[in-house]
Amino acid sequence: MKPLRQFSYRLRTSRKIHITIPILLLVGLYFTFFHGNRFSLDFNIVNGKWVNENEHTDYLPFTSKFKLPRFSYKNEHNWMFDDHVDEIIPEGHIAHYDLNKLHSTSDAAINKEKILILTPIQKFHQEYWENLLQLTYPRELIELGFIAPRTPTGDQALAALEAAVDKVQSDKKNQRFSKVTILRQDSVGFNKLTEKERHALEVQKERRASMALARNELLFSTIGPHTSWVLWLDADIIETPASLIQDMTAHDRAVLSANVFQRYYDEEKKQKAIRPYDFNNWQESDTGLELASKMKDDEIIVEGYAEIATYRPLMAYFHDPDNSVAEEMRLDGVGGGCTLVKAEVHRDGAMFPNFPFYHLIETEGFAKMAKRLNYEVFGLPNYLVYHIEEKNV
Amino acid sequence: MKYKNGKRSIVTPTTISIAGTLLTLLLLAKLFISNFSIGKIIALPITLLSLIFSPSSFSSSSSSSSALFKAYVPNFRNVPGVEFYDLGNYQGNKDGWQRNDRILFCVPLRDAAEHLPMFFDHLNKMTYPHNLIDLSFLVSDSSDNTMGVLLSNLQNAQSQQDRSKRFGNIEIFEKDFGQIIGQSFSDRHGFKAQGPRRKLMARARNWLGSVAIKPYHSWVYWRDVDVETIPRTIMEDLMHHDKDVIVPNVWRPLPDWLGNIQPYDLNSWQESEGGLQLANSLDEDAVIVEGYPEYATWRPHLAYMRDPNGNPEDEMELNGIGGVSILSKAKVFRSGSHFPAFSFEKHAETEAFGKLSRRMNFNVIGLPHYVIWHIYEPSKEDLKHMAWMAEEEKRKLEETRLLELYDKIWEIGFDDVREDWTSERDAILKNIDLTGENGKKIEVDWSDDPEDNQAPNAQLAQNENMESTENPQGDIGRAKYPKEVPLEFDPDKN
Repeated sequence: MKPLRQFSYRLRTSRKIHITIPILLLVGLYFTFFHGNRFSLDFNIVNGKWVNENEHTDYLPFTSKFKLPRFSYKNEHNWMFDDHVDEIIPEGHIAHYDLNKLHSTSDAAINKEKILILTPIQKFHQEYWENLLQLTYPRELIELGFIAPRTPTGDQALAALEAAVDKVQSDKKNQRFSKVTILRQDSVGFNKLTEKERHALEVQKERRASMALARNELLFSTIGPHTSWVLWLDADIIETPASLIQDMTAHDRAVLSANVFQRYYDEEKKQKAIRPYDFNNWQESDTGLELASKMKDDEIIVEGYAEIATYRPLMAYFHDPDNSVAEEMRLDGVGGGCTLVKAEVHRDGAMFPNFPFYHLIETEGFAKMAKRLNYEVFGLPNYLVYHIEEKNV
Repeated sequence: MKYKNGKRSIVTPTTISIAGTLLTLLLLAKLFISNFSIGKIIALPITLLSLIFSPSSFSSSSSSSSALFKAYVPNFRNVPGVEFYDLGNYQGNKDGWQRNDRILFCVPLRDAAEHLPMFFDHLNKMTYPHNLIDLSFLVSDSSDNTMGVLLSNLQNAQSQQDRSKRFGNIEIFEKDFGQIIGQSFSDRHGFKAQGPRRKLMARARNWLGSVAIKPYHSWVYWRDVDVETIPRTIMEDLMHHDKDVIVPNVWRPLPDWLGNIQPYDLNSWQESEGGLQLANSLDEDAVIVEGYPEYATWRPHLAYMRDPNGNPEDEMELNGIGGVSILSKAKVFRSGSHFPAFSFEKHAETEAFGKLSRRMNFNVIGLPHYVIWHIYEPSKEDLKHMAWMAEEEKRKLEETRLLELYDKIWEIGFDDVREDWTSERDAILKNIDLTGENGKKIEVDWSDDPEDNQAPNAQLAQNENMESTENPQGDIGRAKYPKEVPLEFDPDKN
């Protein structure tokens, strides 16, 4: 006991120890916890020379660090703030899919073909969800995919979507969708612009480029080995016929776009009326081609602006309530409001260019790319779906 | 005692403890803010403590790279059939193997049964954590037993004793695209075949890529099976460059008669003025392919930039790339870049993938001094030459065999007695005085009387006896020994 007591007495009285011990402790702590990374520099032999020789740095070759492998395999996975999903994969699992047996035919429902409904969601509209739920296509053949931007509005949309999805998927088994995939974009994404700015010509290119990016991210993350059809349905499409999928698949077209209209209250006639909304469904015109040929490489043509008069025949104006709803028309550009695509078109590589592709961008560029891949693009001028009316907020 | 009564020390226990607490808090805060994690066991109590003391650090150290706020994460844990992924978590880190980044390993296969064992050997030796590697194969238009060999190899890989050697998710896709051209080296590499062939291969790659990629993949690695030599650390070597798309240099070994080694992959190049001019002169659906004299582009190729002593870390900007070994961030494919199956800026497949990715503002990089080795497959000319060489070798072998046979026949049919003659001549001559010193005339008794020659031939007889034991055949020859041998007879000139 005596030496111990003597030692503790020394500790209490000696000033030098008072100062040095905490400092040493701190230095030790610093080195063990914070400085560690710098010491585990990569050592390796490159071209018969130790790395330090090449880098003209000198580490003593007899230290234990000297022979560390080239790469450190210490796990630096941030376990606290990370919501990485570690996939649980069955042991020895080898999945085998024969894509030769995958078809998209006009009798989609009878042949049990799976359809993937994709929606970039910036705002959750209850009407959209209710419309989705009233579709008569068998739900076990429907997969849903959503992507939300990384913004506070995206948060709101996600929260609302979460509640809605939760309700349906926890319901009776036969009422559930076969699969729902919800993605969060990494970037601020496609809704950083307010409603007013949204249609200004200057911001169109940027807006549609980020929209194209969102569509691609959603598409290539969700399209699977069972998918036969892909239906692009915008989050603000709030009214479609209940047999939408059956009607559109029956045409058996590679790319088929419905005509997007909007219901509104006509102040003059004092009654409810409809008006065309989506002008991205069009046929190419000579004027349009001529305009494109004079443009610089990174310029785009967009429809519906007085600055660019293309004189393209727009599908929106071909609507005639007296004609058959099954009437088709050939298109060169499509919009994304409600467009049905055979999965093989996307699988062959047709995507939404986020850069000017033949001076076209997003869905219009997609139509062009599908045509480059020898697919035909069609529209249904008399088959109407309705866009929500934008209230002036 | 002296100290006790002296001036008060600043270093009282109270101050020390206060300073200590402050410092500890500071350290913990720093620990928290930096992404440095020191294992769960040590960190858990520390983090709990720091949560109590400094809750502000919690929100500021959110893992999301851009936003200060923590993005909303919906909870679908108990909802069947619903998945949520924050793509921000799967953008690809440069030290992905330390951060649980999953790789999608894509392999297009066609009549590849013979290469698969070698491929799986490489795969098993890879140092990237195997459980983070998801394998996906596309088997198309195969006439050999590619599927069977693939399945048995996969089963072996997944039933290994060492669990850490097993791979993640495995998916095999089958899709036939219809074959336009054969798969032999010359079929595939002939000039005319290139355009349609590249477009078809692009379709195959796109089908594989689009169905295989999942939201949780951070990286995508495209690999051909017929790579002979590849570093085990290939993933880490490419990944730590932190580029969107990166390819190594691809060479192949050659037989000696072709000069040992040769650049293989000429699809990795930088765009040149000549290339752009050529592209402008072609029609919309034309496909430029590198490495053929028909299209002289004068582009700098990655393959020719190789210096065996160069730094393997050196990078080079590329416009078109080859498909032997491509590592790319999954976000490249997720953003829509793919292998165009149409003529994109007058290119198709992997070369157009490079161009398209650059168009979408991703960086495309090649490593000129970091080389992997493709197998050597002989072309039709090579095969002809090799057939000729084999024929020649066979012919030479036959020739030597015949020569040996002739020699044997000669030996059996004709007894070589020259040696005997030499020794006999020596034996005879040594007893003869050639100088004629004694004035004596040399007299030879040619009569047949044996007794007369006996004395001078005694020595010779002894020699004969000795030799006859060695060469029994010689006896026969000696029995009819020619008697009239002239002294100046030289058997060598016979």
